[in-house]
Amino acid sequence: MFVLSGSTFPILKGSELDYDALSAELRKLRENVAGVTDTVIAASDGIPIVADVAKNIDPAHISALAAADLGIARQAAEVIGLGTLSQTVVFGSEGYMAVYAIGRLSLMVVLGDKGLNLGRLLHETRPVIERVGAILSA
Amino acid sequence: MGNAGGLFHLRDGAVISVESPGSPGVESLLLSSGRIEEADWTAALVESVETRSLQAALVGRGVIGAAELQGLVVDGVQDGAFAAAVGEIERHVVDEGSDPPLLPATEGVAPDLLLAATGRRLEAIASFSLSPYRDRVVPGGAAEEASTAARREIVALADGRRTARDLAFALGRRLYPVTVEIGLMLADGLLEIAPPATSFRCSHWGLAALRPRAEVRPDLGISLKSSEV
Repeated sequence: MFVLSGSTFPILKGSELDYDALSAELRKLRENVAGVTDTVIAASDGIPIVADVAKNIDPAHISALAAADLGIARQAAEVIGLGTLSQTVVFGSEGYMAVYAIGRLSLMVVLGDKGLNLGRLLHETRPVIERVGAILSA
Repeated sequence: MGNAGGLFHLRDGAVISVESPGSPGVESLLLSSGRIEEADWTAALVESVETRSLQAALVGRGVIGAAELQGLVVDGVQDGAFAAAVGEIERHVVDEGSDPPLLPATEGVAPDLLLAATGRRLEAIASFSLSPYRDRVVPGGAAEEASTAARREIVALADGRRTARDLAFALGRRLYPVTVEIGLMLADGLLEIAPPATSFRCSHWGLAALRPRAEVRPDLGISLKSSEV
């Protein structure tokens, strides 16, 4: 059970998100890139929107961490003059957490195991980010 | 290139290394099994930056012998080739400027031998009708009859989201033997192919739409039920 206090995600009152379309995108990503274990789409303030995760993973925690991670990375990119932030990746000895900006208002988290091919993930993720962005703003 | 795809390193016409996201590498095998401590591996990696030989660094530290390590490396070439061949191959490119592999086979594997061995492995798993990348498994009706520790470990990790490839990485074992084991366990009823509803469980907790903050009064909370679609 989650009790949340609202989000900055700007969806107009009465409109309904196409969760099926978002779920289909997350499913395709896990099917198309070997090593992807879990995915979450969240608002950039850390509120989860839709998640495809294993039972032992809490989407609320992942979303909050990803929002903080992306916020720091975005600020670093702006302060250092690296242009617009597209992604930030955490490398661990057991796997990866990649966080992608979807515009300025939402994000996508991809968790992967040690075998994940980050190059392939980036390649496959670009069109997914475009489509997810379009679904979120529809 | 493809899913999983693979990077074949050749030297003097022989395959000295295959890296594939479908096949756990030597590092995964050594660290998962506890054969080498992570601290020793990391120290050898650091040392090898200057000496350019991870094998020399590992052997020099006395944590593994050259023969044992080479055995794992050659086995890795075979498993990497299998991992690339059993997946989807979209296209291939020849890159003459790629970095040398971290742990090359001293005696490379001749491509025709590798091809023949990989062909035999593909034939061997054909009877299982199990795709190591697409099919996700759950414990079957006879799961409690798993007789060996290896099988019980697979049953414990089979959550319906993991493919044979994912299980190989979770176990720290090679893709081919894990695929064969899962194929046999499917035949014995220890495992079953998971339905899509189990493999992909997207949840939005019954939330219909998020509203802009401006429209939410400070004392008003959105209560979400944990329901799944």
